[in-house]
Amino acid sequence: MPRRSRLLKVLGTVSVSIVAVLYVALIVAVLRNDDKPLTTLAPKGVNAQTIQNLVTPVFIVAGVIFVAVFGAVFYILWRFREREDDVSLPEQVHGNSVLEVGWTALPAAILAGIAVLTVITILKLEQRADDALRVRVYGQQWWWSYQYDLDGDGSYDGPNDLTTSNELVIPAGREVDLTISSNDVIHSFWIPALNGKRDAVPGMDTYWKLEADEPGVFSGQCTEFCGLSHANMRMVVRAVEPSKFDEWVANQLRPARSPEPGTLAAAGEVQFGNLCAQCHVVNGRFEKAKENRPPLVSGAAPNLTHLMTRGTFAGAIFNLYYPQQPGAPVPTPGDPADVSTPGDPGDALYGGTSAYPINRVTLEAWLRNPPAMKPAAAGQQRGMPNLGLSEQQIDELVAYLETLK
Amino acid sequence: MAITETRPLALPSGEPAQVDLHPVGVFERPKAKRGWRSWVTTVDHKKIGIMYGAAALFFLLVAGSEALLIRAQLWSPRGTLLSADAYNQVFTMHGTTGVFLVVMPLGAAFANYLMPLQIGARDVAFPRINAFSFWCFLFGGIFLNTSWFLGGGADGGWFMYAPNNGVLFSPTHGIDFWNLGLMITGIASLTGAINLIVTVLNMRAPGMTLMKMPVFTWMTLVTQFLLLFAIPVLTSAQFLLMFDRLFDANFFNVAQGANPLLWQHLFWIFGHPEVYLMILPSFGLVSEMLPVFSRKPIFGYPFIVFSGVAIGFMGWGVWAHHMFVSGIGPISVTTFSLTTMFIAVPTGVKILNWTATMWGGKIRFTPPMLFSIGLILMFTIGGLSGVSHSIAPADTQQTDTYYIVAHFHYVLFGGAFFGFMGGLYFYWPKVFGYLLDDRLGKANFWVLLVGFNLTFAPMHVLGLQGMSRRIYTYDAGYGFEIWNKIATIGAFTIATSVVIFLVNIFRSYKRSKDLPPPGADPWDARTIEWMVPSPTPEWNFDPLPTIERVDDFWYRKYGEDENGNLVRIAETEDVIQHGDGKGVHLPSPSYWPIVTAFGLPIIAYGLLYTWWLCLIGGLIVMVGLYGWAMEPPDDPDAAHGDEHGPDDETLEGAELATAESASTGESAEEQEVQTVG
Repeated sequence: MPRRSRLLKVLGTVSVSIVAVLYVALIVAVLRNDDKPLTTLAPKGVNAQTIQNLVTPVFIVAGVIFVAVFGAVFYILWRFREREDDVSLPEQVHGNSVLEVGWTALPAAILAGIAVLTVITILKLEQRADDALRVRVYGQQWWWSYQYDLDGDGSYDGPNDLTTSNELVIPAGREVDLTISSNDVIHSFWIPALNGKRDAVPGMDTYWKLEADEPGVFSGQCTEFCGLSHANMRMVVRAVEPSKFDEWVANQLRPARSPEPGTLAAAGEVQFGNLCAQCHVVNGRFEKAKENRPPLVSGAAPNLTHLMTRGTFAGAIFNLYYPQQPGAPVPTPGDPADVSTPGDPGDALYGGTSAYPINRVTLEAWLRNPPAMKPAAAGQQRGMPNLGLSEQQIDELVAYLETLK
Repeated sequence: MAITETRPLALPSGEPAQVDLHPVGVFERPKAKRGWRSWVTTVDHKKIGIMYGAAALFFLLVAGSEALLIRAQLWSPRGTLLSADAYNQVFTMHGTTGVFLVVMPLGAAFANYLMPLQIGARDVAFPRINAFSFWCFLFGGIFLNTSWFLGGGADGGWFMYAPNNGVLFSPTHGIDFWNLGLMITGIASLTGAINLIVTVLNMRAPGMTLMKMPVFTWMTLVTQFLLLFAIPVLTSAQFLLMFDRLFDANFFNVAQGANPLLWQHLFWIFGHPEVYLMILPSFGLVSEMLPVFSRKPIFGYPFIVFSGVAIGFMGWGVWAHHMFVSGIGPISVTTFSLTTMFIAVPTGVKILNWTATMWGGKIRFTPPMLFSIGLILMFTIGGLSGVSHSIAPADTQQTDTYYIVAHFHYVLFGGAFFGFMGGLYFYWPKVFGYLLDDRLGKANFWVLLVGFNLTFAPMHVLGLQGMSRRIYTYDAGYGFEIWNKIATIGAFTIATSVVIFLVNIFRSYKRSKDLPPPGADPWDARTIEWMVPSPTPEWNFDPLPTIERVDDFWYRKYGEDENGNLVRIAETEDVIQHGDGKGVHLPSPSYWPIVTAFGLPIIAYGLLYTWWLCLIGGLIVMVGLYGWAMEPPDDPDAAHGDEHGPDDETLEGAELATAESASTGESAEEQEVQTVG
C-alpha cells in the first residue's frame, strides 16, 4: 500500500488550487475583454452579433456540462475513496441499460437543439443584401488588396472603380459583400469584430460579408498560415459615415498630382519612377506595374496613389500616423509603433491634412531595410526587397510619398 | 512464423514438413537472446513494443524541446529568440513529431506489448512484419529529423497546405523530408495495422469471443482499422506532393488549374480519423485502469465498446469541419457541422460510463488512477471546446486561433497523453518487473496537471481574444502578454514533470533491488495479461488460458455469493502462471526486417540528392526481401528448454497459419475446429 505523505498532500492541494484559480481567472478574462482589439467576443457588426448570439448559449450549455461533470467526478472521488478501515469489496455493477440509453439520448437531444440554431445561423450568414457595396479582396504574401465595384457593373477595375490596399474603408450601416481570392498561397480574411473569417484560396473565389453598425476602426489578422511573414499580415477596416464614405471615394478616384518642380518631393518622384514603379502603382503617374503582374505569385505591390490616406503601412503592421491617443510613445527605428491601436489619418483620410504627426521614423527605417522589419522572400518577388537606398534617396522618397494624399 | 506447442503441425496432406535444419551463412537465423543484437533482430512483440515506447519517449523529448522553443519565443511581444523562418520550422516539426512520432507510436507501443497478452496469444500474427513496422517507423522518424542538419526542417505547418507546400514557396528540402519521412512511417502504420487486425481477429485464446475482449484490445482493433484506411489517403496526397516537388508535376499548381482544396480534402480525410486513432488507444487504457482501481467492472462494457466503434465509423464523416472557412459552400458546411456535433454523443457516453464505473467503487488513488481521472476531466474540457467549434459559424471566429490550439492539446495531451502516462505507470511492473515509485508518480501527476493547465487553458482566452495560430510574433496592446507568459511558465512546468518521470524510472529501478518483486498481479487487476509473471516471459503464457467471460482473470480470483456480493475464491498466487512454460516454440529472430527497412530512408535521400543512393537503397531493400524470403522458418537450436526433435518443426509460411489456439491437452482436431470457428 502506498505510504501517506504530507508533502504530496500539500502538492495536490496546491495543484488543484492553482488550476481552480486559473480557471476562474480565465472565465473573468473572457467576460471582460471588450477592449481587446481582436477579440471575438465584442461584436461591432450585425454578422458578428449573429454568431455571438449562437455562441453565447452554447458556451452556457458547455459551462453547465463542465460544472456537472467536474462536480460529479469530484463527488464520486470523495465519496467512494478507499478507506483504510473498510476492506469489503464493492458491488459489481456491470451497467444499467436504461441509464446508458438515457445519457446517450440526452446529449443527442441537447445537440439537436443546438443543431437547429446552427443551421439557421449558417443560412442567415449566407444571405446577401441587394444594395450591398461589392469589393474584391486579394490576399498575397503578405498584404491585402481591395478593388471596389463602385458603379455596380460587376467589374472591379473600370474607370469608376478604385483599388486600395490593407485598409478597407466602408460605409457604416451598409453591407459590404466581399469576393475573396488569392494571388499566391491560401490566406484568411478576418475582422473579428465584424464577422468570422473566410479563406482566400488561389484559383477560386470565396464569398463573405461585413457590416459595421457604427463608424470605427476594426483590426484584423491573416489567420491561414501563409509562409514567412504570416504573423505580419494584418488589415484594418475603417467604417465611416455614409456621407464621409462618398467624400473618401471622391478623393480616391482622383489621380495623383505631381509635386511642384524643384522640390525635394519632385526629386523623390524621379526616384520613385526609377526604383519603385517596377512594382508599385501610382494612378496617373506610374502604371507600368499593372502589366507585369505574374499570375499567382505576388509580384505586384500595394497601390500607393493615396498612401497618406491610410493610417498604417507594410501590411498594416506599422503606423503611418501616430495613433489618436494622447501621450502615445514615439516609435524608434527597428521598433515599429504598436499597431494594436492603428494610426489615425484624421482628415487625411479624405485627402486633407492629418492633425496627427506622420510616423516618419518608422517609414524611413522601413525604406532603409524592409526585410529586416518584415521577414520576406524578396529574392523570389515576395515582399519588399532591400534596395540599398542612400539617406538622400530616402529623404526624397519620403517627401514624395507624403504628397500621395 | 508459427508459434507452436510441443506437437508438430502436419501439412494438410499429412506429410510431415521437410525443412533444412542447418542452413548456412546469413540465412541462418540470429540466436542472440541478450545484448543489442537481440533487440536489433527481435521479432518478439514485447521487445518491439518496448522499442516503440522508448523511441516515442525520445521523440517526446524532441517535440517537447521544440515546444519549449515556441513558448520561449512567445514569452513576450516581438520575441527575438527565433527568426520567422526558424519559428515556422519549429512549430511544423513540433506538430509533426508530436502526432506521428510521439502519440501514434505510444499507441503502437501499448498495442504491440499488450494486445497479444490481452487476447492470450504468444505473439502477433506476422512477427517479422511487426519488426519491419517498427524499423520503418524509427528510420522514418530519424530521416524526418535529419532535415534539421541538412538545410532546415519543413516550414509549412503539420497540415502542409497546398500551394504553400510547393517548391515555389518553400524551396528548401524541408518539406521533402517531411513528405518522404512520413511516407516511410506510413508504411510502418499500414503494415502494423494489418498485422494487429489479423492478430486480434485470428489469434485470440480459446473462449475469447469478440465481446469478451478487454476494452483496450477493442480500441486497438478500431484504431488499426482507422489506420488501415486513413494512412493510404495521406500517402496518396503525399505521393502527389512528391511528384509536384521532385518531378515538376502540377497536382497542386494553381497556375495550371489545380484546386488547392484537393490537398485539404485528402489531408483531412486522413487527418480526422487520425485524431480518433490517436485518442482511442488511450481511451482503451483508461477503460482498463478505472475498473482496476475502482474494484468494479467497467460500467456498460457493450456501450463502451460500441461507442468506440461508433467513433471509428463516424470519424470518417467529419473531416471537412477543418475546412469551414475554406469556402466549401453552405451545404457542405451544414452537413459537416451536424456530423461533427453528433460525434460528441459516443464520446460523451464514454465519459459518463467511466464516471459511472467509479460510482460505488473503492477508489485507490494510485498514479495510474490519477492520470485516468485527469484524462476524464481534461478530455471533458477538450470535448466541450470541440463541440463549440462544431458550430460552424462559431468556428469561423475560432478556427486558426489559439482556441483551437487549446482544444486539441486538451484532447491529445490532456486526453491521449494523460492516458498513456497512466498506462506507463500501470503496466511498468508488467513490462520491466519493478514498480515505479508511488510518491514520485503522484508528484509527476500533479506537476503535469498544473503545467498542462497553465500552458493550454490560457490559450482558450488567447484565441477568443483573437491571437492567431502559427505567428512567430505578436504585438503588445492586444491583451496577449499575460496569458502568453503564463503559458510559457506552464510549458516549463510540463518539462519539469517529464524530468520527474525520468528520475522516477531510474530511481525506482535502483531501489527495486531492495524491494520484493511486484509479482504477476501488483494491482489486483482484472484481465489476463496480469496472469503472467512480471516481467512477461518471452513465451507469454505457459498454457494458454481458456476464457469464459470479460475480466476472466478477476473471476478466477473472485466469485459472487448468493447475495451477489463479491467473495474471494482463490488466492492470486494460485491462479497466476509462473513462467515455467516448457516446449513453447517461438518465432526465431531475423536480420531482415531491419535491413529491409534501412533501405527505405536511403532511397529517400537518393530522391533528394543523388540517384545513386536510390539504387543503393533499392538494392538494400531487395537484398532484405530476398533474405527475408529465403531464411529458414526457425532455428531448431533456438528452442526454450524443450527437447523436441527435428520433426517438431513447422513450415515457413506458417505466418499465415494460426497455430496459436491450442492449449495443452487438446487434440489437433479440436484445434483446427477452434481456429476455423
